[in-house]
Formats: sequence, structure tokens, C-alpha cells
Amino acid sequence: MGSQAPSIEYMGIEALTAVVQERFGKAVTVGQGAMGVVLSLLIEETQTLPGLCRLLFWDCGCGLGGLVVEERPPSWRLSYLFLLPGTGWIEVLVRLPMEAHSVPSISSEVHAADWYEREAEDLFGLQFENHPRLGDFVLHDQIWPEGLKPQRKSVDARQVKFERRPNSEWRPLLVVKDSGAFAMPVGPVYEGGVGESLHFMLETVGEDVLRAVPRLFYNYRAVEKIAEGRSVADALLLAERFAATSSFAHSAGFCHAVEKIWNLGVPRRAKHLRVLLAELERLRHHAGTITGICESTALAVAASQAAIIEEQLLRASCRFTGHRYLFGLNTPGGLRRDFDHDDLEKLKASVDQAARELRVLEERLRFTSSFLDRLEDAGVVNPKQARDLNLLGPVGRASGRCHDLRRECAYNGYEGYAFEVPRESEGDGYARLRVLFQEAYQSVALIHEALATAEPGPICVPVHAQSSGAALGWAEAPIGAALHWVRLDESGLVERYRAITPSFNNWLGFHVAVEDFAFQDFPIILATFGLSATECDR
Amino acid sequence: MSFWFWHGLRNGIRTTRYPATSETALGVSPGRPVTTEFRSTAEVEAAAASCPTGSIIARGTSARVEMRSCIHCQRCRIGTAQPLEWRGDYEWTTIPADREGYELLPSAYRRSAHVMVVDAGDCGACLREVKQLNNPFYNMHRLGIFLTATPRAADVLLVVGPVSENMRVPLLKTYEAMPTPKRVLAVGTCAVTGGVFGRTFMSAGGAASVLPVDLEIPGDPPPPLAILHGLLVATGRKALAPKKAMGERSA
Amino acid sequence: MVFPWIGGALILFFILALCGLGLSTVTRGNNTMRVLLIFSGGCSVLMMYAAGAALATGRSFEATLWSIEGMGPLTLRLDMLSAVFLFTAGLVYLPASLFARNLVVRLLRGHYPARNYGMLHFALMISIALIFVANDAVSFLISWECMSILCYLLVNYEQSRGTDTRAGFIMLAMGEAGFLAVVLAFLIAGRGSADWSFPALAAASGQLSGKAVWGVFLLGFLGFGVKAGLVPVNFWLPRSYTAAPAIFLPVLAGVTLNLGFYGILRLNVDLLPPRSPAIGLVALVIGSITALVGILYATTESDMKTMLAHSSIENAGIIVAAIGASLVFRASGNAVPAAIALIAGLYHMVNHSVYKTLLFQGAGEIEAATGTREMDRLGGLAHLLPGLSVVFLVGCLSISAIPPFNGFLSEWLTLQSLLRSAVLASSGVKILFALCGACLALTAALAVTCFVKVYAMSFLGVRRGTWQPHVRERVSRVRFPMAYLAVACLLLGVLPTYVIPVLNRAAEPLAGANATTALVPPFFTATSANQQLPPAFLQDFHNLGAQTGRKWIAGRGLVLLVRGSERNPVIFAASPSYSLIALVVLLLIAWILVTRSTRKRQLCRKELWAGGIPRLLPEMTYTATGFSNPVRVVFQAIFRPDIVEDTRETVAVHFRTAIRRRRDETHLVDRVFFHPVGDAIGWVARLLAGMHHGRLNAYVAYTVVLFLVILLLYRFS
Repeated sequence: MGSQAPSIEYMGIEALTAVVQERFGKAVTVGQGAMGVVLSLLIEETQTLPGLCRLLFWDCGCGLGGLVVEERPPSWRLSYLFLLPGTGWIEVLVRLPMEAHSVPSISSEVHAADWYEREAEDLFGLQFENHPRLGDFVLHDQIWPEGLKPQRKSVDARQVKFERRPNSEWRPLLVVKDSGAFAMPVGPVYEGGVGESLHFMLETVGEDVLRAVPRLFYNYRAVEKIAEGRSVADALLLAERFAATSSFAHSAGFCHAVEKIWNLGVPRRAKHLRVLLAELERLRHHAGTITGICESTALAVAASQAAIIEEQLLRASCRFTGHRYLFGLNTPGGLRRDFDHDDLEKLKASVDQAARELRVLEERLRFTSSFLDRLEDAGVVNPKQARDLNLLGPVGRASGRCHDLRRECAYNGYEGYAFEVPRESEGDGYARLRVLFQEAYQSVALIHEALATAEPGPICVPVHAQSSGAALGWAEAPIGAALHWVRLDESGLVERYRAITPSFNNWLGFHVAVEDFAFQDFPIILATFGLSATECDR
Repeated sequence: MSFWFWHGLRNGIRTTRYPATSETALGVSPGRPVTTEFRSTAEVEAAAASCPTGSIIARGTSARVEMRSCIHCQRCRIGTAQPLEWRGDYEWTTIPADREGYELLPSAYRRSAHVMVVDAGDCGACLREVKQLNNPFYNMHRLGIFLTATPRAADVLLVVGPVSENMRVPLLKTYEAMPTPKRVLAVGTCAVTGGVFGRTFMSAGGAASVLPVDLEIPGDPPPPLAILHGLLVATGRKALAPKKAMGERSA
Repeated sequence: MVFPWIGGALILFFILALCGLGLSTVTRGNNTMRVLLIFSGGCSVLMMYAAGAALATGRSFEATLWSIEGMGPLTLRLDMLSAVFLFTAGLVYLPASLFARNLVVRLLRGHYPARNYGMLHFALMISIALIFVANDAVSFLISWECMSILCYLLVNYEQSRGTDTRAGFIMLAMGEAGFLAVVLAFLIAGRGSADWSFPALAAASGQLSGKAVWGVFLLGFLGFGVKAGLVPVNFWLPRSYTAAPAIFLPVLAGVTLNLGFYGILRLNVDLLPPRSPAIGLVALVIGSITALVGILYATTESDMKTMLAHSSIENAGIIVAAIGASLVFRASGNAVPAAIALIAGLYHMVNHSVYKTLLFQGAGEIEAATGTREMDRLGGLAHLLPGLSVVFLVGCLSISAIPPFNGFLSEWLTLQSLLRSAVLASSGVKILFALCGACLALTAALAVTCFVKVYAMSFLGVRRGTWQPHVRERVSRVRFPMAYLAVACLLLGVLPTYVIPVLNRAAEPLAGANATTALVPPFFTATSANQQLPPAFLQDFHNLGAQTGRKWIAGRGLVLLVRGSERNPVIFAASPSYSLIALVVLLLIAWILVTRSTRKRQLCRKELWAGGIPRLLPEMTYTATGFSNPVRVVFQAIFRPDIVEDTRETVAVHFRTAIRRRRDETHLVDRVFFHPVGDAIGWVARLLAGMHHGRLNAYVAYTVVLFLVILLLYRFS
């Protein structure tokens, strides 16, 4: 069952700087980045962008964080974020004059950047040269006219109303060029039962799915746009509620960014309790994903038992914090409320019971060969593909890619905790299931440690001055690494909010798991990935 | 493989007795704020100001709660000097403001209703709460409520989410594809009033802008028992309380 | 009772056909159409009349033509077996003539001289009729050869269109190889006989040794099997059917295929009754394998013509399997089961001619209306061509053996006759019968899959290709021949109790027993004095209503019965006529109930539910290839596709723009027989080519050596 991530020797920050300067010399200016960013590499000529990103991603072993686009007249500010494991975030900064609307695409070098660039093109209108497919991403071409660019500053979120223009000539991009090939549409109103809205075109010639292209953003509510101009308290509500199953992690990421901007020192007790609550959320989320996997294989008793565990954790969360999904707890500076000793003991008892039941469930599942038959060798993502597509979270860990933000750039006191990051290399559905169980047990261990080390003290620091600035906050959400970039203006209102979610990242890699598998495996592979469409869509 | 059978038996029956009796276990519902009397209007104003969605309405010295837009942020009871009272109930289904009453489904549906759930921009919490209705604790099958995958066999449409613009047409198509008689339930504050998203260029601000809604179940998210209560009202097994004075509605 | 005048009808037929032949050389254009209509139609009616009269009265017709020196007199004889085949040919030629007449218009549009077609058409008709009525080997072989050449000319008729002329050439080459085998068979069979006439050959067959019988059987079976489309030698069939022009294809499929069966029946069953069951087993096994291979390739094929060709192979396999079973029964001394099996085979032959012609005509119409034969590109034709969709559906139902149509009955009878293997002594033979029966059952199931795919993908659903329909439905002229065939399908399916006694007349001399009573007991006409059936049995069936309608319907009854032996007293009964009546009544009752109970309900028509997408596009619906893919995957060991191309084109390294997977399938028969045989011949040829090195001295040496060898042989013989 799983192994601990081997301690790979990653490059240190000095070595990386040396390599960059040696390769690019004057073209890249090394400097200090915004808060949260360890190193900033400013590029003058956009032509060096693809080369530098390739160097960082492939040669230096960095992971891709995402792309943050900001419209800051007189220029665009493009920030490509890379994670240097063990150190922190590195940004490649490009300042593009407002008139110049195009920048070279890096997706041919760093394939994982494909969707980030498509999203930027749809929302901002930026062109990425040599990108193979721009358009029809966030705003579906079949409904919306071209050139809307909703994220531009010139678009007022409160006033504007876009007119639909249904396009009857629209045809899906079909890749399989076989005369008998057809594309089975699945969704957006899909899934027998309760499912999120997403659409697939499963291209096939009858038995195997040859290509599965997801169309997302049916749940697109333009959270990043409507957060602009809101106060931090109101934007925090948005950060909490755009993806509720990981709400604590996202609100923690947002709060980290704001705390950096306002220079707030979070008290120790708050840090420990934040760890406790984040791991509680992770445990509950993984119980839910395991329920989904058992349901997809129609192992009804196991699904019910896993659902019992999830419901018990939800009730425990509600007893403990007053809300089943841990809404309303994070605030910049700490937590909004404190918990007394009895509450913590009761929570510990509930978590222990859930852990016991999970162990029993895992043991039983290991001996159900019909269940394992459906999962083993289904939806295989090999380590090379996982690295190529920068898969995050449990999905990445099942394919050997072990970037865990709690380890690689520890935040919130995680550096003081002892825990293992599970790792598998088969990359099939069973590996993902094993990773989920292992992570759940690690979360239980972390909860115990947090409870043991949480000493009495203040739970929140008061906020005096609401200064302006920009910072990057992050958290390891249950699905993977989540990044929050916040820029506040002088009156303390949000000027730019960028949420880079792990589901967005992992959906890009979903199609390699589904291709060349039979139709019947499709819902199972979907369940083993455990991704959230609404977290991706924001 | 037979160990699953014994495993399930050994874990016993967890199902709640609701609606026969009220469910009193802790954690089944976050509860909701209710009308609270304060000592002075200043306190009432302060209490009303703590709500980010304006669900608390000051009426003299009492703070009335408009449950339809409550997002369960708990800012009216945590971290405020004038906390509101919260009641730990879960039966808060209401009829929309522009309706007079709720037209019951025919009696054939009392014990057999098929429910179609459409995710129209939901954050995920309401959807998961609906999903919990199938777990052994709530087990809506025992009440004759089933989930269908196709609207052609559905009687009740549950809409979750503020209806993002990309889901407007699929939602409408789903509604059109359902045969009559059909009822629409807006589940969650987002579906009722738009929640934190409101009415923007990408969000319709609630299902009522798109479909004729028959019942509303506010909450962010409403706990499974609240949704179950709403479904029981829809099928006619539970009655709605008559409309009270403006400001507070309870079932 | 009108004097049947069989002989006169035949003579008139030949005269009319020759007149038609002559007239088509001089007419052109519209007149050709009239000539075809009148003369060809008249010829087919005469064929049917002559054969029908012969079958009805049981009289045969004989005539002697001139004699040839050293080969004996050329005689003609229309006996019962020939009459069955001639009737079928006439039955099919009538709508084929009408169909051809209409298609001549299209031929003219394509600038092909229609009169050539007319000449070939009549010549072929004459040669086919001569094959059926030939009573001696010489005339038989001469007309067979004429038929082969004419078929080749007709298959390659539209040559300038760039169609594959190799297909016709392969057909001719295989036909000649088969002909050679048949000639050898006749030579061996005729060793001890006085002259070449069939009665003499039959009389002399008793003196042939066992090995000679085997030799005649194998040569004759495989030789005629070329025309019949049996497995080792049928690789010409799909190719030529695909290449044949639509105007000729119905005749090719409906009539010329039967010539192979006629040859097998005449040579191997009539003239040379087998003595050991092993001969029949060979036929049975080859038939079953042919059926399975045929239907497998039909199910996975998406070109309609090729698919129908493979389906013809399948049906040929079923017929030959029935004939083989009959041979086994006869050789083991069970004459009645032999007759039943033979009747099943003949019935299936008649049915197959009818519905295959119908389907091929339908395929031709579809190609004319849409310009494509690819089922992956069709769809939605039911709205455009409603009349065609109805008759095509009848054809599909018939070939899938769905009651009340005719395919059901003949397949049922075939499988029933295989079940009669209980009377056989040897358990090895019984096991083989069981295996072949299972094989045929699998074939029937696959046939349903195949034709569900054909009908659904062509007519139902959404139009998948980019063609525009450019033919409007013209009900009367084009649909009449197909409606005629559809009605024939229904009648042959609903009135088996009238068809079987007729077929029995042909089967009886070949099997040695009268199976009419075994299959169609005289329920209507049986009286208590009639000892053929025990009275208790009659009473039971009377209580079941088997004698309903007895006063109004002539004949023996409307129930088919297959009884087991004393050791195995089971009864399988079927009555398509009663079933049809019951079906109609039930549907009527259901319709009444439904309309009355839903009168108050509201019926709304809404658009198709597709998961909420804005519009269901044709790319999103199932294609024929996708539908049949599971069959391809399950039987992969047989198909063994070679992956010719499996490329994934990408742009910018990672973005996939195209996935191309082309798999080439070599037909099983090609892989196992054709290619190895061809390679062997090539090897031998290469060896022999070593002789041709161009040196004159060597050639002179060869001549001298050969001369010496001949002298030595002459010296020592």
C-alpha cells in the first residue's frame, strides 16, 4: 500500500537562479516578487518566455502553478507561477504593453499551461501565438458571440448584460477521422442521480472511447469578476462558496493572501485549529469521493457504508463549528470563533470513529475482487503523463507525482507536523483509491497532532490598517493545490482576485485516463478522479 | 463477497424516523436565525448590519429574518456583539413571494415521486446535501422518492445553483422535457435569490428568473432534512404553514 | 380442368425470349424499355406458368432436340425439381424485369447503350431456362458456360465508370475453374453409362466405386459451390456483387445463385445418390461454416451491397446445410427426415430468392436516391422515402426470420430437420448435427443483428451524410416490383401448408419418401375413417382450434407439424396463418384499448431529450460501424484485422487534431484458401519460369526430350 514520497533532491533557489542567469543572461531580470512569491523572473522580450518556462518546468523540476493575468494600465501583467518544490513559488513576469495583445504560447513546451492560456484568451482577449486551439472554452461558441471579454476592466459586472447569439453552424471539433466514428454526447444534464453539469463528447467507433473531450464552464459564475470592487469580507464569502466541498481550503488560501497584504501574524492557536479544520475537510471530502467510487461500481453496501462515514463527519462538523461544510470560519487574521476543550474531545472521538470505520471499509474492499476488477487498470495515467500534464492532488500522487503544498512550500505551520504524503505509481483507479485512503489516515493523524499541540491563546488578531498590495496565498485543498492571488486597492477593496483551482488543472489531464477504455468504464474513471466541475468553473 | 451482507447487517439501522417523529440528533441541521428581540433600535441596526445579504430586517426593536436570502455565514451569531437567536430546526420550506399557495401534485404521487436534480451553477454543497438523501441516514427511498436521470420520467425538478447563464438553456430544456404534472423546487439560497452571486451577467439570480418555481428551500446549503421536508411538502405529505406576516416565514 | 400445355408454354417462352433478343438489337431508348417490359415480363410469366402447371399437375415435359455426333442426343426435361427452380426464376424475373425497365432510364443517362443490356438480358434468361430444363450433360454444360460468360458481361457492364473490372474477371475465372471441376465430375460419373443423358447417368451410378462417388461428389459440390457461394470458393461473390450494376444485381442475386443449388441437387442428389453419410456430413459442415462466415462479415460490413452479398453467402450456407442433412438422413435410411430436410432447403431457396431480390432492389433505390451506399452516411430515409421504407422493412423482417414472413418458416424447418438427428444411430454424427445446428442458430441471431442495423441505420434516425435527396418518391412505377415481392414474402410465410405439398413433389423422388403428411397433416380433410392420424390426436388438435376455418379454406389445414420418433415423441407445431390472424386481432385490441384509455390524456410532442445540449447533431448518433463493433470485437480471432494506420496527429506537440485508425481486413476465406493457393501457384510458376530463359538451344532440347518421351510411351503402352 503506498509508499512515502522519496526525498528527491530538488534544486535550491540559488542553483535555480544560477541556471537561469547562465542560460538567459540579461534577458531575464531576477528579483523579489510580490508577497508569497519567492523569486520573480522578469522578462523583457516575450520571445524568451517559452524557453524560460521549459527550463523551469522540465529542467529544474518545477511544477506549474498557473497563470495570473492582470490588466494594469498601461500594461498587462502576466505572471506564470511555478512551484519550486521545497522552496516556494517562482513567477515569470511579463509586462505587455496594452496595445500588444499577443504573447507567445508556452503550451507547446509546458503542456499543462494549455487551458490557462485558453481561459485568458476567452476572458481577457489576449492572444497566444501558436496555441493550437483558442476559443470556445469558458464562453461556449455555440451560444455566445465572439469578443465578449468579460474580465476586462471596461466591462462593468453590475451593468452589463450579454446577448446570446446561438450559432446554428457550430460543429464540435471531432478528432477521430474514421468513417464510422461518432461522438456520444454526455451531459450537461447527466449522471443517473445527482451529478454536476459538465459535457463530454465521447468519440468512439463503437466499443472503446477514443477521445473524450470535456466541455466545462457550465457552472461559470464569473466569481473572479464579481469579486472586484467588493470588500474583503464580501470577497471572502465568494472565496468560500464557489466550491463548497473544499470551502475551508479556498477560504484559507484567500485569507493567507490577505494576511500577507495586511501583514497580519496569525496566532499559533489559530494555525493549529486551521490545520485541524483543513484536515477535517480533507477527511470528509475523501470519504465522499470513496462513496462516489463505490457507487460508480454499483457496490451498494460499500457505498452506503462510506456514505455513513461521510454523513457522520458532516454532522460532527456541524456540531463542532455550526455548519456542515465549515463555512464562515476563516477570516483574515485567524478564525472567527474558538472551540472549547469538550468540543475538541468530541470531535476527536468522531474522527477516530470515522477512521476506524474507514479502515474496516478499506479492508473489506481489498477483498472484493469484483470491485477491484473494475478499478484495476482502468483509467491509467502513467507517471510521464502525470508529469507532463502537471496533475495535482491524489490523482497526481497515484501516478507518482507527489507535489503537496503542505510539504513543498509549507504554510500555516505544516512544517512542524509529521505526516507522510502517499505515493503510488500505477496510476489506475485502484491506485487512486489507495491514495485516498492513505491520505484520509494521514489527515486523522494530523488532526490528532493538531489537537495535541494546540495550546490556549488568542484565535484571531484584530485588523487595524487595511493597506493595499498584492499577494499570493495558497492551500492544499482536498483535490490538490489551490492558489489565490489577491490585489487590494487603497480603500481596501478587492481589485483583482484570481483563484487557480486544482480541478481546473486536473480536468485537463482527465482525457488521457479515459481514452482507449470502454464506455462502461467511463463513469468509474470519472468517479476515481473525484474532480469538481464547479471548482473548475468558478 | 457475502461478508458485505453481514457487514451491512452488523452496522445496524441508522435511518432517521423523520417524518414520523422529529429528528433530534446533533449536527443534522445548522439551524437558522430567527426573529430576536433586542433592547434598543441601535442594537437592532447593528445586528441587521452584520448580515452581508441583508436578510435581517430591523422592525423597531425586533430583528426579523428573511430566510430566503440567508446564506448561513453565521456572522449574525459569531463575532458580533448582538448575536441573533438561532433555532435548530430544519423545516423551512416556503412558497415564493408571488404565489398564493402551493398546488399539490395529484394523490398518486404522494408516495411515489420521481425527482430530477439539475445543477445550474451550484457550489457543490446543495448538490451534496441532495446526494446525502440517498444515504442510510435519510434513505428517501422509504418515502417513495426516487432520483431519475431523465426528465421524461420526472415529476419534481430540483434546481440548485443561481442558474449560471451557460446552464440557462439546458435547465429550460429539462423543464420542457418533463411531462405534466410537474413541480419545481428551488433548493438553496442561490436558487431562491441568487445567494452571494446575485444577479450578474453570468448568473440569473435564482431559478425564478428562468422557470416557474413552486417551492423554495433556502439555506446555504439546506441540510438534507430540509430538502426532504420540501419534497414531502411537494408530494403532499407535509403541510405548509399558512403565510404569516411579512418578515418571517416558517413551515 | 384446362389442359396445362406445359410444353407449349415452354416453347412460347423460348420464342418470346428470342424475339425479345432480336428486338433489343434494333430498338433504342424508350422502345427498349417497352421491349423489356412486354417481352421479359411475358417470358417470366410463361416461366411461372409452365413450371407452375408442371408442379400442380405432377406431369413433366420432355423433348429431344438434335443429336451431336459422339455425344448423344440433346434432350430437355422439365421434371419436378426443375419446375421448382424454374418457377422461382420466373417469380424473380418478373419484378426484376420491371425494375430493369425503370433503371434503363438511368443507364441511358449514363450513356451506356441500353440495347446491349437488353440483348444480354434475354440471352441470360434463355440460358438459365435451358440449364433448368437440360436433361443431358452436354446441353447442361453448354448452357452453363453460356450463362457464365453472360454473367461476366453483365457484371462488367458499366465498365467505363471506373468500377473494378477485376471483380467480374475473378468471377469468370472462378466460374471457369468450377466449370472444369463439374466437367470432370460428369466425366467420372459417365464412365459406365451409355450416353450422356441424365437418366442414363442415374442408371449407371450404381456401378461406381466408392472412391468414384466421392470424387464426383467433391468435384461437383465444389464446382457448383462456386456458383452457390460456398466457403472455400466464394471469394468472388462479394466482389462481383459490389461491382455489378444495380440493373443486373437483383437477377444476379435472385436467380444465378440458385443455379449452384440446382447443380448440386441434380448431380449429387438426383443422379448420384450417396451411399455413405459422410458425404452428406461434408455438405452439412461446409454449409454451416459458410453460413457463419457469411453472416459475420455481413454484420460488420457497412457498404450495403457488400453486406447483402455476404448475407447471400449466409443463406446459401443454410440451404446447403439443409441439403447436407437430407443426404445424411437418406444415406442412413431415414427417408422421411431426408424429405423434410430437402423441403426445408428448397423452401429456403425460394424464400431467399424473393427477399434477396427485394433487398437488392431496395439497395439500388437507396443508392439512386442518395448517391451513397455507405450505411454510415445514411439515415433518416423513412421520411424521405416512406414507401420504400415499408417494403424494405418487409425484406429485412423476412431475412431476419421474423414471423409472419417467409424467412421464419424456412429457418424453422431447417433447424427442425436438424433436430430430427435423434433418429440417427451414430452418436458422432449426432454430435456433429448438434454443432451445426448451434452454428445455424448463432447465424440466425447474427442475422437479426445485421438487419436491425441495416434498417435502423439507413431509414431511421438522423441523416448522417451530406447528401441531398434528389429523387422524389414515385410510388407506382418503382415500387410495384418491390411491393410484389413483399406480398410474395408475406404469402410464402403465411401459407406454408400450400407450398410444402408442392415442394414435396420435387423432394420426393430425391429423398425417397413423401413428407407431406409428416409436415402438413390433413387436419381439414381428415375424417375418422382416415387412418393416417390417430383419432385421439385429431381430437386434441380440434380442441386447440386447429380445424378453425375448415369450411372456408381449401387444403389440408393451416398447421405445420413436426413429429419426433417413437423414442422421442415430441411435437413441434407452427401455424403462421393462425398466428397472423391472432397478431392482427391482438394489435387491433391493443390499439382500441390504448386509444380509448388515452382519449382524455394530453399528448404533446416535444423535442428529443439529449441531455440539455442545444441541438442533437448527426455526428452524435450511432453509426452502422459503431453498432456492429461489438461483433467485430467478439469475433476478432476470425477477422484478424491488420492495423494499416493508427496515427495520432498532433499540432504543437501535444494537441491532438486527428486520430486515424484504418484497419484492413483480409477475408477469412482469402486468408485461408485464396492467398495460400495463389502463393503456391505463384511458386510453381516461378519454378517453371526458370525454364524460360530465352536460349533457343534449350527450347530445342525441350522439344527433343519431349519427343523422345512420347516415343517411349508409345512404345511401351
